[in-house]
Order: sequence, then structure tokens, then C-alpha cells
Amino acid sequence: MTPRKKRRLYLLLACGIAVGSATALSLAAFSSTLTFFLGPREVLAKDPSPGMDFRLGGIVQVGSVNTVISNGTPTTNFRVTDGQASIPVTFTGVLPDLFREGQGIVAIGAMTSGGDFSASEVLAKHGSSYMPKDVEENLKNSGKWNPKFGPPPDASTWNDMAVKSSGS
Amino acid sequence: MNLTPFIDGSYGITVLFLVGIFGLTYVRYRSAVKRLAAVEKRP
Amino acid sequence: MTDNILAPEAIPAYPTGSWLHRYANPGRFLRLAQPALPWLAAFSIILTVIGIVWGYVFAPADWEQGNAARIMYVHVPAAWVSMAGYAALAVCSFFSIVWRHPLADLAAEEIGPVGAGFTFVCLISGALWGKPMWGAYWVWDARLTSVLVLFFLYLGHIALIRAFDNREHGYRAAAILALVGAVNLPIIVFSVQWWNTLHQGNTISFSGGSKIYVTMLYPLLIASVGFYMCFLTLVTARLCSAIMERKTRALLLAAAERGA
Repeated sequence: MTPRKKRRLYLLLACGIAVGSATALSLAAFSSTLTFFLGPREVLAKDPSPGMDFRLGGIVQVGSVNTVISNGTPTTNFRVTDGQASIPVTFTGVLPDLFREGQGIVAIGAMTSGGDFSASEVLAKHGSSYMPKDVEENLKNSGKWNPKFGPPPDASTWNDMAVKSSGS
Repeated sequence: MNLTPFIDGSYGITVLFLVGIFGLTYVRYRSAVKRLAAVEKRP
Repeated sequence: MTDNILAPEAIPAYPTGSWLHRYANPGRFLRLAQPALPWLAAFSIILTVIGIVWGYVFAPADWEQGNAARIMYVHVPAAWVSMAGYAALAVCSFFSIVWRHPLADLAAEEIGPVGAGFTFVCLISGALWGKPMWGAYWVWDARLTSVLVLFFLYLGHIALIRAFDNREHGYRAAAILALVGAVNLPIIVFSVQWWNTLHQGNTISFSGGSKIYVTMLYPLLIASVGFYMCFLTLVTARLCSAIMERKTRALLLAAAERGA
């Protein structure tokens, strides 16, 4: 390598380190704004003032879902939990298809003065495990997994499990 | 919710993109080969 | 592609001497790549068709997402290729800046539009997956935003590399943009681990087991290899075209000078 090329190489590496660390520092500094939602514990700790919009994320607590239909529009009450704290949520409107007990969701809205979270929009956050229905039923029937209580067991126990029909 | 338009839309845009860019690239490649051959043939 | 045929910089000046220039000069690349092109094209089309048809028709529906999970077989390969393509762009830019290598410059110019196309497919298929599953086409979470940034980096690179009358200036400027933008790649990859996102976490992992059933994994992997091959084929074909176009311009210029 000629000295000029060597100089360009070192200059480039120095620039790379500078850009990389600048980015890392900015990301660390802004990490609270880069977070898409707050969990119930973080919400309780921050205690956002009523009426201030934010996104609440967590798991729909099992046994907490209660839907009342008035004038054709459903209003659903449920609790969002992170396993320790939980926050009651009210939402009027049609929930996404994937909404169920034990499902991860992100609700957009604000706290009311009564300590409830009033959601204007509910998004479903689905898992990252893919398996046919048969495998899920197999795991459920053998008592190895209930989708209501968290993600499936270690993938190596099911990702090549034999099932009756694995076609579509 | 009816999933078909979303699934077909995703596959549609993918196939359209792949066919389109393969076609454009092929046309460009053929014309580059032809033009170079024509220029090289000149005395 | 419509620049002045008689522009002085159209004469390719290929320095020789170092190992890099001896083994990766555009003429040698053309001789090696051209015979391989039909094979590359055939393999990429066959693998892509197998992967996509398997995913669209034969793979089982997902327990949770039903048939919507089929979007994975085009969305995930497109996402992987868009990131690998940008990594290739960054490597070319590195060779361009340090070694001023002409093949790296031409490759960077041709990678841009192909990578941007795959990123576009990733964004659109992701939006079409998000609406029925999440309930929204788009959210500003860290994963989606960083991929949108990747798309804009590609567009910026495409524009910048063609923006100068002196092509060398365009190559240098675009290479710097590509290298600075490369910090976005780890952000995309780790966004789902570093921050809370609506986007799901990683399904395929090389360290631990993959959280996907075997008859869903195979079409995903085949479609991915197919998409990677498509990218390679397209960039190689476009790079060969670019080299031949330059050669044509240089020959025309030489003829014009002889005639003058």
C-alpha cells in the first residue's frame, strides 16, 4: 500500500470510530424517546398527568377482559400487565383480530383522573414464534404450553414435531 | 378481517418488482452488448 | 446513463500494479462474470419461484396469524437483502475511498437502485402485514423508522452518485454518504432488542434455536437464498452493462479523436 492509501485508510477508520461513537452516544441519550411504549411499571413510576398522550404496552391480563356493547359499539375494559404491575384500560371500538387474553398489545391514549387508561387505539403485538395450528394444539393438549401465559417453550422441543397434517 | 388482499398485495408487489427489474436489467444488458459489438466492429 | 459520450472522464483509466487492481479490474471482471450470468439468473429464478410458491401455497398457516404469516416469505427475504445490499454498498465505498478502485465505484452505482427496490418491497409488504395483524399500516417504532431511514439512504446515494458533472466527485461524495449511513445497519438489526417496539423480535437466530416450525423454515430459507441470488444476478448484470457502456464510450471517443 502506498503511503497515500494508508493515510486514507487510517483517516477513514478514525472517522468511522468517531461517527460510530457519536451515534451510540446519541442513541443512548435519546433511548427514552426511541422506546415505542411504556410498560405498566414505568407508567406508575412516571405518573403521567391525566390527558397527556402516551403509548402503554404489555400483556392483556388473563380474566380481565370485559366487553359491553351499547348502541352497536363495543366498549372493552381490560388490564394491561407486565407480570408485576397492571393498569386498567378502557377502549371503545373494534379490537384487532389478534386481541386475546395473554396477547401483547400497545394502547394509545392517556390516563384519566380516575387512574384508568383511556385508549383511542389498540394495536396487537404478536409473537415471533411460527408454528402450524396442529403443533400449538399438540403443545396445549399435552400441557406444555398455554398461549395465555406467555411465549411458547424452547423451540427445539417443537420446531420439528410430527403432526397429523402439516399442509395448509 | 379478510386477509386475501393483504397477502396477494404483498406477493403481487414483490413479483411485479422482481419481474420489472429483471426485465429492465435484461434490456439494458442486451443493448450494452449490441452497442459495444457494433462499435468494436468498426474499422 | 445519459451523460456526454465525449466527456473526458469517460476514458477509463485503470491503473495496474497492486494485487487489487490486477485481480479486480473491470475488464477481467467482465470476462469472468459474463459467462456466469445465465447460470446466476437461472438459479436465482428457480430458487425464488420455489420459495415463493411454497410459502404462498404449501406452507402451513400460522397458529396465531393464520394465512397472514405467509407475507413473511416475501417480507423477511426482502428485508435481509436490503440490509446485505447496503453492507455491500458500504464495502464498495470503502474500497472506493481508500483504493480509488474503479470497479468499486461502478458497483456502488449499480447496487443503489437494486437495494432501494428490495427495501421498498420490504416496506410495502410490511405495511400490508401490519394492517391486518397489528391494526396499523405504519407505526413510528424503532425498527420501522430505521428501515425507512435505510430506504432514504439508498435514495440519497442514488441521487448523489449521479449529481456531479465530474463522475469522480460523485463517487467520492456518495461513498462518504454510504459509509456514514452504515451505522444504521446495527441499529436496524438490534432495534428490536434495544428498545420496546411494536415490531416482533427476531425469529431466526444463529446462536439459539429458531422459533419457527420446520415446514415454515424451509420455504423461508429457500426464498431468502433466492432473493440473495436475485440481488447478485441483477447487480452483476448491471455492472457488466455499465462496464460495456463505458468501453463503448471510450472507443467512440478514441475514434472521434482519430477523425478530428
